[in-house]
Amino acid sequence: MTDEIRKEEVLAVYPRVAEAMADALGCDVEQLVLDIPLIEGLDAESIDFLDIVFRLERAFKVKIPRGKIVEDARGDLSEADFEHDGYLTDVGLQRLREYLCEVPPDRFRAPMKVGDIPFLFTVETFCRLVVRALRAAPPA
Amino acid sequence: MWRDSGLAGKAVIVTGGSRGIGRAVVELFASERADVTFWFRHNRAAAEAVLAAAAASGWHVRAEQVDVCDPAACQAAVERVAERCGRIDVLVNNAGVIRDNLLGLLDDDDWRQVLDTNVGGVFNATRAVVPYMVTQRAGKIINLSSVAGEKGGRGQTNYAASKGAINAFTRALAVELAPRRITVNAVAPGVIETEMSREIRERAADEVRAHILLRRFGTPMEVAYTVVFLAATYGDYITGQVLHVDGGFKME
Repeated sequence: MTDEIRKEEVLAVYPRVAEAMADALGCDVEQLVLDIPLIEGLDAESIDFLDIVFRLERAFKVKIPRGKIVEDARGDLSEADFEHDGYLTDVGLQRLREYLCEVPPDRFRAPMKVGDIPFLFTVETFCRLVVRALRAAPPA
Repeated sequence: MWRDSGLAGKAVIVTGGSRGIGRAVVELFASERADVTFWFRHNRAAAEAVLAAAAASGWHVRAEQVDVCDPAACQAAVERVAERCGRIDVLVNNAGVIRDNLLGLLDDDDWRQVLDTNVGGVFNATRAVVPYMVTQRAGKIINLSSVAGEKGGRGQTNYAASKGAINAFTRALAVELAPRRITVNAVAPGVIETEMSREIRERAADEVRAHILLRRFGTPMEVAYTVVFLAATYGDYITGQVLHVDGGFKME
């Protein structure tokens, strides 16, 4: 697939992503290994995600629309096909698993609430978010 | 002992700063040596009068024509201040309009304009500054509400709804931003001697004064003192509050 993100692309942005995250979370850069889950591993809260996104936007001079991860994961699926009553459908969960391919498969457990998706996010999730944003609008 | 207000050099944005309470707020911040940018919608002459007065006093005041109903314009204007000052310390959401009429006579436009400006404008300006305040882990947001947000007033359904919304917005946002040490408060003036309240003050001065314990109207500067108090270090431990500056309106 042409839009597949290569590991070297992730590694290219990783140092600056980790730096922005360390500032937002008030932790050491060394703690921010690629696969650490932010909520369970680093006690991140929802406001921290916003803080991280704001910092990444400024560090990379890109725009990252809020709710981008869930929106991109849903792709061309209708909202009704993606979720029902706040829970991901089977198809929705499969889509999410494909989109967040950096997250170990055993962490996608049905039934999964849409509101619990951020529990899956790792440092690499944000690196990939930046890579996608850079591809969409490379800095001038 | 009174400490320094801590406002010298602070980057302050005041929406609706060319007249009335907004102008008093701009001038009081400027007199505390803050770096003030105020927004005005269309009254360029009034804005220039503020700038001239500020220049005569040697204050740092800038004016920008920004319609708070335009989210992109708010975003761009905030970015310009951040670019220049490197941060945004204080936002005072003062821009507001009034279109009083009995509900049965309010047209769609009267309703929409008041809600779009008084609530939508607060949302647009606040959303634009929050990223800066969240990342700098500090900030003060002060929303101008009104006595109308809590007390019923004939012909004010639209205005009252907008100010009631501001009070609720203030409390909710205070909860949201407290983890980043950003305080969010509202100041609710009563009847203040401004152009906006001229009609009611002229039409029913005695009747209105009878509802005010102090039996007089307030001045724009009396409201500005409270706004600046909240923005200064003095107000650091206050968040999620609606402070009434109304001379004891309808307390009897």
